[in-house]
Amino acid sequence: MATTTTPHSARRAGWVASPAVLGFEREVVGALAAGADDRRRAAIDAWVDGSLSDMPEVLRAGVAAESVVLGAWWRIGRRRRDLSGFVAGLSRSRLGPLRQYARLFRSLVLFAELEP
Amino acid sequence: MTRRETEFLVVGSGAGGATTAAVLAEAGRRVTVVEEGPWVDPDAEDAPEPFSLQEMAVKYRHHGSSAALGNPPVAYAEGRCVGGSTEINSGLWHRLPAEVAAAWRSDYAIDGFDQHQIDAWADRVESRLTVSRVPGAPPLSSALLERGAAKLGWRSVELPRVVAYDGGGRATKQTMARTLLPRAIVAGAHLEAACRVVRLLRRGDRVTGAVARRRRPDGTVEDLEIDAEHVVVCGGAIQTPALLQRSGIRHRIGRGLKLHPTIKIAARFPHPVDHEDVPIQRVTEFVPELAIGGSASRPGHVGLALADSGADIADVGAALADWERVFVYYASIRSDASGLVLAVPGLRSPLVTYRLTDGDLSRLARGLVLLGELLLAAGATELYPSVTGAEVVRRPEELASWWGSVDRSRTNLMTVHLTSTVGMGEDRDRTGADSYGRVWGVRNLTVNDASLLPDAPGVNPQATIMTIALRNAEHLLSRP
Repeated sequence: MATTTTPHSARRAGWVASPAVLGFEREVVGALAAGADDRRRAAIDAWVDGSLSDMPEVLRAGVAAESVVLGAWWRIGRRRRDLSGFVAGLSRSRLGPLRQYARLFRSLVLFAELEP
Repeated sequence: MTRRETEFLVVGSGAGGATTAAVLAEAGRRVTVVEEGPWVDPDAEDAPEPFSLQEMAVKYRHHGSSAALGNPPVAYAEGRCVGGSTEINSGLWHRLPAEVAAAWRSDYAIDGFDQHQIDAWADRVESRLTVSRVPGAPPLSSALLERGAAKLGWRSVELPRVVAYDGGGRATKQTMARTLLPRAIVAGAHLEAACRVVRLLRRGDRVTGAVARRRRPDGTVEDLEIDAEHVVVCGGAIQTPALLQRSGIRHRIGRGLKLHPTIKIAARFPHPVDHEDVPIQRVTEFVPELAIGGSASRPGHVGLALADSGADIADVGAALADWERVFVYYASIRSDASGLVLAVPGLRSPLVTYRLTDGDLSRLARGLVLLGELLLAAGATELYPSVTGAEVVRRPEELASWWGSVDRSRTNLMTVHLTSTVGMGEDRDRTGADSYGRVWGVRNLTVNDASLLPDAPGVNPQATIMTIALRNAEHLLSRP
């Protein structure tokens, strides 16, 4: 009987690991959690990090792709409004993926903000 | 690679897996139960609070963040711990409606599924658990549903729950980790937690066992090969078809996903409402096509429901500041759509899709309006529907505006009831397993969980899952 032990560096057994939290995603969380104190902010960051990295890979890939595109879009037009206003605009979009993107981050932040 | 050997390998420890393991072990069979999630002692002093962040991180798959892709997508949650979804659900107990059972029997040619037989198995499941009603008066969140229904002349009932109450009225949910799994273990079953089955091993028309990866407490991972004379897969309606597909078993597997699309309203009352537990009252006037009830309403849930309305941030902020007077209620429908679970090579999680029909959207709109009517009758003063941009309603005449609001681009849906990705019955063109869950084409492989239900039952499915699991486990024992 032989035992093989492998490091548990990645929880994923598949070939594709979920991408880590991206820079724009971190900025979105910061904008949505602007009123939180440092301790709560750390809890929010930990919750969002854990949730994004634990997402099904297909969903995470879609969110990451949106983050790249939206991050670029926001940077181009950033002089016009702040990031929380940008996310609020997405949440009212008629385009489902944009609206769901805003909903996802708002839900993650709000839940972590309100729950112990 | 560590090798193990067992007579029956049960994959999954939720409602289906725990029932199967207890029946087999108590019959003197050698049983190994493998559960992907961790063992979380529900009675430990530091056990996570229900619906808290900690509980969602520890007991839920994907931290509770998953969705069936579609237009609109449907968010869903699954348990991933010893005891499965019974550790995180509300424990509401609703037997399979007789008319649904009759339709399944004839539509899918299910043998041995007469109503008196189903009732007898349900009786026996209930005798193994503690299925009871709240002693004394129901909590206000429940009483409000009853009050609204009574004013409108609609039927409503207090559902029993899989809960034991002590002399002081303190409730202890009778989850699988507290009930059938300990029974199975006392009878000799071996439970392996934090152990994910990667694929089943096959030879000809038989399975010979499974390859699994076990996470040790020190964080290292051990590869296991478990030889088994019979395998029973009970991973739930998403994970079971994914495992079968990864193992090369695909006939009618993963198709036909059914769920109860659920739309919500955050209702503000002029008085505080209890937020300790899930309401036990159900409006049954429209069951099984439409069910109305209450959701978990901790501050986080209230916040999410308010945010889903897309209401003006000032309104949401004011309602949130007043969250003790806000409670979340829902309407869930029997959908005529279906979805797909597809294991994608290289990915750990399957792709899940669900395509709502126009008829479903119409039913959801009806459910939303009826729920709004009920809540206003119950005394609510403000209603925030989970439809982005829909009006916040304060008077019955304003409800009509919601009919046109429930569309594909603005409606936010969720579900916790997922079924039917294998399906049982004798019609091989429509089912992945026979009337007792034996997978077509594989002699010693059985499915025994929510995947087997041929359709969404229109009610909380735990009672149906456990009733069918008991029936099938006993049938398994009787096979040569």
